[in-house]
Amino acid sequence: MRKWYEEEGEYSDVVISSRIRLARNLKKYPFSPKLSEEQAVALNHEVMEKLEDIKNESGTYLTCSINHMDEISRLSMLERYIISPIMVEKKQETGLMVAPDERASIMINEEDHLRIQSLTGAMNMKKALEEAYKIDDYIEEKLDISYHNQYGYLTACPTNVGTGLRASYMVFLPALDAAGNMTQLMNEAGKFGVTIRGMYGEGTKACASIYQISNQKTLGMSEEDIIEKLDSVVLQVIHQEQKRREHILNTNFSVLEDQIYRSYGVLKYAKQINTKDAMTLLSQLKFGEDTKTVTLEKPNMIFRMMMEIQPANLQQKLGKIAGSAQRDQKRAEYINMYLPELIK
Amino acid sequence: MLCDICHKREAKIYYTEIRNGEKKEQYLCEECAAGQSTFQTNKGEYSIEGTLNNFLSNILGSIYGEGEQKENKDTMPRCESCGISYEDVLEHGKFGCAHCYDSFKVMVDKSLRQIQGANNHIGKQPERAKDSSKSYVLNMTETEKLSLQLQEAIEREEYEEAARLRDQMRVLKGEEECVNGMKKKENTAM
Ligand SMILES: [Zn+2]
Ligand SMILES: [Zn+2]
Repeated sequence: MRKWYEEEGEYSDVVISSRIRLARNLKKYPFSPKLSEEQAVALNHEVMEKLEDIKNESGTYLTCSINHMDEISRLSMLERYIISPIMVEKKQETGLMVAPDERASIMINEEDHLRIQSLTGAMNMKKALEEAYKIDDYIEEKLDISYHNQYGYLTACPTNVGTGLRASYMVFLPALDAAGNMTQLMNEAGKFGVTIRGMYGEGTKACASIYQISNQKTLGMSEEDIIEKLDSVVLQVIHQEQKRREHILNTNFSVLEDQIYRSYGVLKYAKQINTKDAMTLLSQLKFGEDTKTVTLEKPNMIFRMMMEIQPANLQQKLGKIAGSAQRDQKRAEYINMYLPELIK
Repeated sequence: MLCDICHKREAKIYYTEIRNGEKKEQYLCEECAAGQSTFQTNKGEYSIEGTLNNFLSNILGSIYGEGEQKENKDTMPRCESCGISYEDVLEHGKFGCAHCYDSFKVMVDKSLRQIQGANNHIGKQPERAKDSSKSYVLNMTETEKLSLQLQEAIEREEYEEAARLRDQMRVLKGEEECVNGMKKKENTAM
């Protein structure tokens, strides 16, 4: 069973993943600001019961309650892009239904009653949308969804109304970052109705040159048009990044090559390392892999490692007692162990 | 990554705060985050939503005007279905139920124009909604659709996007004229 982050595909040297989120609400319940504790429990029950048999190629969805989990487990699911920041914080009854391969999921009682999520590796938003539509159509057969003839799918926040669609690419932009072009790029993208944000979404800083690029508007355009518009911006970003990379490789290859091998060496033999340093070094190694400066025995492992060395993911593997010093040691151990061998 | 306040513990939580219109980003550890009473996270939500809501409240507020709003506190409209007040919607930028969209229709229409640059849905609809609504948008030609999008882009002040749509329209119109011209020629030949 291949996870989305292990997938090869179009522009996979720059685009890590394509994600669709659809916001949906049930007619029967008030939106989250007016939803009582009892109604939140009833909502979770009803959704889980009616969607009991939902499945994809990897099997029937797994169902769990999120608010009853401990914080580390919740944060760790956030770090692996299974749930959103709102779900981590929310005290009310919240639930999750997730396909075994983690490519598709439904968050229950997030900001809206339902958030359908579909993920694919590399640049393939069309496939992500198709998958999300399959889930959406299935849900519509089983549950009565709020829909307005003028405004489309109704959502708690008017910034999501209409299609309820958020299409988001996760991209790796080390060369543009190094050239100091990101701030300008973010401003430019805004003029096209596109947002560029950090690795873990709104309000987060960029980490290791990983960014999310997504649509701002959800109303007045069809889903296909929203994606087409987003794609036209993303393709330009990709080409700019590729051009910068080529320039760096042409003018500075020996310096770059040296840096990449050094990063590999530190990652392979460090005895303790914090998240930030590890992310920087992994980012350099990923750059080496994506530009074919180095070849790794097991391809497409680096982004997965980036997710797994995040504090909560490590903590979950370690148990509750670990402090940050122990985490830094464990992080180094984990990296030493999973770092793929270099092929000369 | 270390916490921006104590510089000792691992930062786990990302905060955005808006103060005097300036955005401030911070990485904090859990201990230090707990001590930050001004952060919007203490309301039980991630601050990012907070900043979005502030933005939204500003837009919604400006439609009716700040002063007007405070004076008429008691006469402010409420949603009959869920009981949420107009003030509440302003404060949190969120509606209480599906019916709110009709209860506050004037405000909804105006604010959607500003936030979304449009107030009519185009796109996917549930199977059971299809019969009841013959959306006019579905019957539009490509050029009509583009023209609508162009108007909306101009309203959103997305001029680059507007230029792109205008060029696309020109190409499409050119093609249409070309096809029409050919038809005419065929007709005369017959
Ligand atoms: Zn701290
Ligand atoms: Zn209401």
